[in-house]
Amino acid sequence: MAASNMKAIKRRIKSVESTMQITKAMELVSSSKLRKAKERSEQAVPFFNLLYQTMSEVASEAVGFHSVYTEEREEGAVLLIVMAGDRGLAGGFNLNVFRLADKRIRELNTMGREAVLMTVGKKSSEHYSKTTNRVLGTFDNIGETVTTYTALHMAQHIVHLFQQGHLSGVEIFFTNMVSPLSQEARQMQVIPVPNLERNPGVQSLTNYEPSPEAVFDSLIPQYLAGMLYCTIVDTYASEQAARRMAMENATDNAQEMIDDLSLKYNRARQASITQELTEIVSGANAQG
Amino acid sequence: MSTFSLQIITPEKIFFEGTVQRVIIRTTEGDVGILAKHEKYVAALPSGPVKITMEDGTERLAALSGGAVKVSPAQTAILANAVEWAEDIDVDWAKRSEQDALRRKENSKDQQELEYAEMKLKRALNRLRVSSMKD
Repeated sequence: MAASNMKAIKRRIKSVESTMQITKAMELVSSSKLRKAKERSEQAVPFFNLLYQTMSEVASEAVGFHSVYTEEREEGAVLLIVMAGDRGLAGGFNLNVFRLADKRIRELNTMGREAVLMTVGKKSSEHYSKTTNRVLGTFDNIGETVTTYTALHMAQHIVHLFQQGHLSGVEIFFTNMVSPLSQEARQMQVIPVPNLERNPGVQSLTNYEPSPEAVFDSLIPQYLAGMLYCTIVDTYASEQAARRMAMENATDNAQEMIDDLSLKYNRARQASITQELTEIVSGANAQG
Repeated sequence: MSTFSLQIITPEKIFFEGTVQRVIIRTTEGDVGILAKHEKYVAALPSGPVKITMEDGTERLAALSGGAVKVSPAQTAILANAVEWAEDIDVDWAKRSEQDALRRKENSKDQQELEYAEMKLKRALNRLRVSSMKD
């Protein structure tokens, strides 16, 4: 009986060990991908700050400035761009962002406005293919390889929809990597362009060519592309960080299980040795 | 000759940062030369060449793929989707990209696809032109 018990424990230890090898490997892969992704997301910051600053200046300095991208509209569909990962096994990473976006969809519905969607990441397109919301575009497997052109292409698609009057706003749902240990699902309004400082009446000293409005509107695709690029890269970095953490926990748990099972195995081994000894001794006694 | 500080940045990296004598860029309204103490100026940039005269008088040429330029007293900044030095341009790749853009243009089903193909074509042609301008 003891021997078969020992065998079963041994088999379990083996299986947990091989699982641990996988989670350990995934942890290492995520660590190195995280490092790269973090670099990329940090490099995008100066560009984006300057772009945003320029747009703020255009909007605030130009007298009588007016653009379709800054006015708030009460009706029309709102585009929600929901960014998630391409794979699971990353703890609550995908779920948190869906929860936030789903809440916003319900909110828009009660206001009587339509929410249309664009999804980034396989998990996101899977999630929203099951709902009744209109999905205008899906972008799978782009987190790792995203370039400015991918983002610009997406941005132009959105600008197009906007110009045709289909949309009244654009919001991005993404995950912000606060630190490698904490990621936070966020909602960000991109159009109408928020928080632009406006102080009308200040005479502009800057020369805009061809005109402030034309410069502002031509910056919009870049601004959108910049926003998309930054958030995609940030989400990807968060995914790796979340997976690294999830896999680290899994590895720790596996180690704990192995320790536990080893103890059981040793006990069983000890028990069987003791039993054999008792049998031999009692056999010898009976003979003697 | 007096100089000013120039920065060229893309979302992927800071491409160039330094002191220069002059920079010539192509805006939507035509070519513009910027020297030190230029007035405050902002313009949109299509794909086009950028010619920089460095502090020591040497000239460098780069291909820029869309962006904006912002001149302020402190600094001149060029925001670009992508930039490459003329000598770094991969001519074969640009040619393939040109072919691909032409094919896309032929097969485009709607206005949007057509516009996208045309922008891609312009970028490819710009790279090829800048690359041939260097010598």
